[in-house]
Amino acid sequence: MSRPFAFLLAGLCALSAQGQGALAWNGFALLRASSVNESGPLVMEPISAQVQVGLDWTPTPAITAHVHLLGRTDAGDSTRGHAGIPEAYVEANVHPGGDRLRLRGGAFFLPTSRENVDSLWETAYTITPSALNSWFGEELRPIGLDASYFHGRLFGGATLFRGNDTFGALPVDRGWALRDHWIVLGERIHLPQLFPDPNEPFYDTSVSAETDHRLGWSARAGWNGQYLLAQFTHIANRSDAMDHGSLENWNTRFDVVALEYTRDDWTVAAESGWGPTVIIAEGEAFVSGLDATYLLVSRRWDRGRATIRADWFRAGDVRDRALTAAFLLTPPGRLRPGIEVTTAAGHHRALIELRYSFGG
Amino acid sequence: MHRTLAALTIASLLGFTATATAATLTVSVHDPRGNTVADAVAYAIPEGKVVLPVRKAAAVMDQKNRMFVPHVLAIQTGTAVRFPNSDDIRHQVYSFSNAKTFQLPLYKGNPANPVVFDKAGVATLGCNIHDRMSAYIVVVDTPYVGTAGKDGRVTLNTLPAGRYTVRVWYPEMRAEPAPVAVTLGTNERNDLAFTTR
Repeated sequence: MSRPFAFLLAGLCALSAQGQGALAWNGFALLRASSVNESGPLVMEPISAQVQVGLDWTPTPAITAHVHLLGRTDAGDSTRGHAGIPEAYVEANVHPGGDRLRLRGGAFFLPTSRENVDSLWETAYTITPSALNSWFGEELRPIGLDASYFHGRLFGGATLFRGNDTFGALPVDRGWALRDHWIVLGERIHLPQLFPDPNEPFYDTSVSAETDHRLGWSARAGWNGQYLLAQFTHIANRSDAMDHGSLENWNTRFDVVALEYTRDDWTVAAESGWGPTVIIAEGEAFVSGLDATYLLVSRRWDRGRATIRADWFRAGDVRDRALTAAFLLTPPGRLRPGIEVTTAAGHHRALIELRYSFGG
Repeated sequence: MHRTLAALTIASLLGFTATATAATLTVSVHDPRGNTVADAVAYAIPEGKVVLPVRKAAAVMDQKNRMFVPHVLAIQTGTAVRFPNSDDIRHQVYSFSNAKTFQLPLYKGNPANPVVFDKAGVATLGCNIHDRMSAYIVVVDTPYVGTAGKDGRVTLNTLPAGRYTVRVWYPEMRAEPAPVAVTLGTNERNDLAFTTR
């Protein structure tokens, strides 16, 4: 955990102890059983558990400090992946002339997903997110400043961030995955060797390491109607595309178009992203094209939600698709049982999950 | 038994009298092109010193399918508003408006206490998790207030006879249309039309 975020967490605890401002907390604990644990896009431990907690200190309605804590049994192939902080930021809201300006500083998920719309960046529709949002959760976490502006039905935003120099390594080196492994600050996810060779070094990906001292940026704009939302996002990590010890920097530019239509109890959401990622090895630039698209249709009832999602994804010449069906039972109370079945790249996976919400 | 019957009869007559003497005012709101303005709020403020009835029941601003329902809620000053969350995900409701500044920390279901809107004005609501959610609570110093449907019409049908100033508000209003003074007689029906600026 990097020092500023540790200070922020300690500060929240101290303020809570002194009873200053409003400190709220919420989160969940889950137990999950998976039918497969083989490699490929559906890799997951047979039995796994997670706890996630969000702490929000709101001294005034316009200012919030947020810390998101995570612990899990299934850390995958990573170092320092069992527990940590996925997000920690301070945000301020001002309302110039009836509009809304939100400024955020710290480490945060890019606020663009049309799928991960619950608190703590959880998907509301399925147990595991699409390939696109699995990747963003696992390898993108802007650490910097974000400004969002809302004017009537129009909105826009921009982010300036450090870290995320290796953004792009996972889809190319390991391949796309469908799993909710939110990388935590300080965690290093190990990358498989493209051509296994004991004499070659192993590489990692990390969101918090800053190796090339070049800032990345993102910008977004959209229109928000009563039922329909349309949004465009551009992300450029501006990395130097070089190796830095065990970190493999990829220079990635990625565009995402999103559409969401919600009416009554139905939601149709889609995001489609594409762009090149580049790495320089032995003086030569290697370019891979990345793209990922999902389309989901979800219907909600008083005591449940059913969702079907189709995914298409490509890294270089490797192209695949996945189909996911999920049913989440939402009885009154804090327990949410769920079942999800996915087929992807010739693999099949069934998940059963029991989730308990607390706080809030 | 006889006393109960007598009391019920008197109460019914009083109720009938109150209804029979109430005037009805229908307000329609259009834009300059003649299109109806949905979610417009119309309210009638009695002139002179009048003791106004106070609504005791709490009003409700629900959250369903990541939308506030209704989009515009018009209430009398002093009304308590409950904010149930009927979604299967959490919401964090806030208002930074001068009429009422508050925030409800992330929650599902029903928050413990309603929020009392004790100052006239417009409170713009949002959810800090879902930027696309927005709504308005219009707080006015009169119980004679209503919100238009898609037809842009508000019917105020329990107005005692008297003289009123009628005003309107609508979402994204830049300049308020000029208020209109109207005198309503017993059982009178009156229509007013406003054009947005």
